[in-house]
Amino acid sequence: MDRRTFLKTSAFITGMSLVSNQHVFSKAQEPASLVLVKDGSPAQMADKVFELLGGVSRFISRGDYVMVKPNLSWDRRPEYAATTNPELVSAVVTHCFKAGAKKVLIVDNTCNDARRSYKNCQIQEMASKAGADVRFVRDSHFVETDIPGGTSMKKWPIHKEVFKVDKLINMPILKHHSLSQVTIGFKNMMGLIGGNRGRIHRPFPEKIVDINRVIIPQLTIVDAIKILRRNGPSGGNLKDVEELNTVIAGTDRVLVDAWSAKLFGKDPKSLKYLQLAYTAGMGEIDTEKYKPVTFTF
Amino acid sequence: MKKNRSITIRRSTQIVFLALFVLTVLQATYPFRPWIPPELFLWADPLTALVAQLAGRFFDPIFLIALIVLLSPFVFGRTFCGWICPLGTTIDISDRYIAKKTYQSSRKYRPLKTIILVTMILFAVFGIQLSWLMDPLPILWRSFGTLGMAFFFLITDTVLNGFYNAGIFPDTILNIQDKISAYLFPVSTPRFLMLLLPFMIILGILLLSRISRRFWCRNLCPLGALLGLLSKFSPFQRVVNEEICTSCSVCLKKCKMDAIEDDFYSTEKSECILCLNCSKDCPTDAITYKFQSPKTMRTSTDLTRRSFIGAGAVALFGSGLFSLNVLNPSKTDRCIRPPGSLSEDDFMERCIRCGECVRICATSGGCLQMAFLETGLEGLMTPVSKYRIGYCEYNCNLCGQICPTKAIQPLDLEEKQELKVGIALFLKDRCIPFRLHENCIVCEEHCPLPEKAIILEEVEYTDPETGEIRMVSYPYIDPDLCTGCGICENRCPLEGEAGIIVTREGEERF
Repeated sequence: MDRRTFLKTSAFITGMSLVSNQHVFSKAQEPASLVLVKDGSPAQMADKVFELLGGVSRFISRGDYVMVKPNLSWDRRPEYAATTNPELVSAVVTHCFKAGAKKVLIVDNTCNDARRSYKNCQIQEMASKAGADVRFVRDSHFVETDIPGGTSMKKWPIHKEVFKVDKLINMPILKHHSLSQVTIGFKNMMGLIGGNRGRIHRPFPEKIVDINRVIIPQLTIVDAIKILRRNGPSGGNLKDVEELNTVIAGTDRVLVDAWSAKLFGKDPKSLKYLQLAYTAGMGEIDTEKYKPVTFTF
Repeated sequence: MKKNRSITIRRSTQIVFLALFVLTVLQATYPFRPWIPPELFLWADPLTALVAQLAGRFFDPIFLIALIVLLSPFVFGRTFCGWICPLGTTIDISDRYIAKKTYQSSRKYRPLKTIILVTMILFAVFGIQLSWLMDPLPILWRSFGTLGMAFFFLITDTVLNGFYNAGIFPDTILNIQDKISAYLFPVSTPRFLMLLLPFMIILGILLLSRISRRFWCRNLCPLGALLGLLSKFSPFQRVVNEEICTSCSVCLKKCKMDAIEDDFYSTEKSECILCLNCSKDCPTDAITYKFQSPKTMRTSTDLTRRSFIGAGAVALFGSGLFSLNVLNPSKTDRCIRPPGSLSEDDFMERCIRCGECVRICATSGGCLQMAFLETGLEGLMTPVSKYRIGYCEYNCNLCGQICPTKAIQPLDLEEKQELKVGIALFLKDRCIPFRLHENCIVCEEHCPLPEKAIILEEVEYTDPETGEIRMVSYPYIDPDLCTGCGICENRCPLEGEAGIIVTREGEERF
């Protein structure tokens, strides 16, 4: 083979591989870090979220011990939008196993009786079917944890598996909350803490940010399929539920909350906890500057 | 060998019925899908049927089940006591460790149980129901349902959490704990406010065996007395072959119930529980059990006129004492009753303090506790809601489903969700927003009603010291919406008494 043939052939092969691998080509080298998917079924939207984010293997490695943290906190059926969509949760669990996760753990320190809540929100049943370990939370599972950099608390009991897992995926549902106006990813981490949780509410923004200093998700997937407009976070009235059929996901937890808040109709910068989180360097808050890759089915 | 086999059959029967009883206790739990009604043994108890219906002036056909037990002595004597009664079996088991091995007579106390029975019935005539105090089945249900559950948690929490925290097979431990939670008990340790009184009662019953074996059954049990009275003519009985009998006295000394007369041939039929032990113990095999035309016999349980009059006097004065409430419970205590409770008087007369509602509530919201004296002397161990311990779970109506006497009426879930057991009110000297002018809203976020009964009003507040202006959400109650479920009081983050409390004001009773 002479040099010319070699160059021609190489160029051809390179060109063909680029053309044939449309996905890599069109998305360039950088997969999206913030995505917004609309109007699919929960499973379809989960598929699309991971596709746009560059594949689930970007987050989960073979043999990983993964914790998925949906909201199972209330004794309500899924249509009341007080708890995370169970189909979305089980789709995410399935993705984790496809990427080779060794174990997927689901826990939540519930507000109503744990057995009733786990059952009624249907996550226990559906996520277990997908292979997840859905566990009840007991007092013995919490460890008093130091919170480095904490401004409102130095220590708090936190679920010990948080520090054993390789990856943490936060799966909140977008809801109204009378104190923080809206509850999304940061607030969802309250399901992983013990102690007198009512005390978290004073001063709420500082404490919720402090909790998130030690509980750090690699990925946040917000269920905005059905959202609770009023009377959150417990809900209980179908009139307060609005169907947005949207999933927002991303690696920057502040930005994901900011975009979710925006979707809810709140100015992210008006949310004190987000301001604090931004100031603390946990992520970006500017929804004008950072926009999601969107996809509508 | 055949004799031993009959003992084995009797013992197995006892164990089966005790296991069945424990099963009824275990099944009184969320998720509630019993395959034996948890109330079965209480429905089958003729004494409860008699006393509760008489005192409560009601008739419930479900208590016709008790006729089976009530009629059994006409054929089989006190077989119920010896073969079926789960308290009898419990006593038999504990007697192995508690009772002395030597023969001890306690015959002089025998008439007590008849006096107790008659007194209870007379009390019931006057409208005071004492089934809870002396009837073996409610006593035992309460003991297993609350004490047993508390002990179970003491042990499992210590052992399983110990293993888990030490990192010994943590996944297996979690599996075991989650299985227990799925089928039997709540996830978190149930908290019982008052275990001392039920504990003293059951402990007392078991410890009395220091005086003689089955002391309770011989001398105190009014259910035993009732069945004994009907056993006089039972054709199935102990028969001694007088030609073989050597008068060795083994049977008399070993009899659990001290039912054998000094001549060794005759049996006190109102005492004999047909345990068959004497036929096994007899060295010459002189004793058999068979059907024989009943000879009327003198029984020691026959009541003298004097003791009958005495019982009447006790009942008369006693029921006066019970009704004479020094304190007015509705004013001195919050006394919130379970949803669906009858009016206070009817409730007291019907509630047999079996603890079924307390047990099943502990697996759900956990607010129901046994009262001590806060609802008056007559209200000892009746269920009251203590909202700092638990709260009434919005989606739960199990206490009414399980009440054996319908002192708590069974309600549909929707009906219960709208029923008021009381109304919450704010203690503004304690409540955080009112006292410190800071946001809290924990009560509001937990309110389970479709239209929340706690409403937040955002008001501008100027700090008098710093001059800082901030928005504070002050909570208010809508008394028309509030049902008094108490989750607000339960979750109030204050230490000690909550900033929001539920009182029985506005309660709806049946």
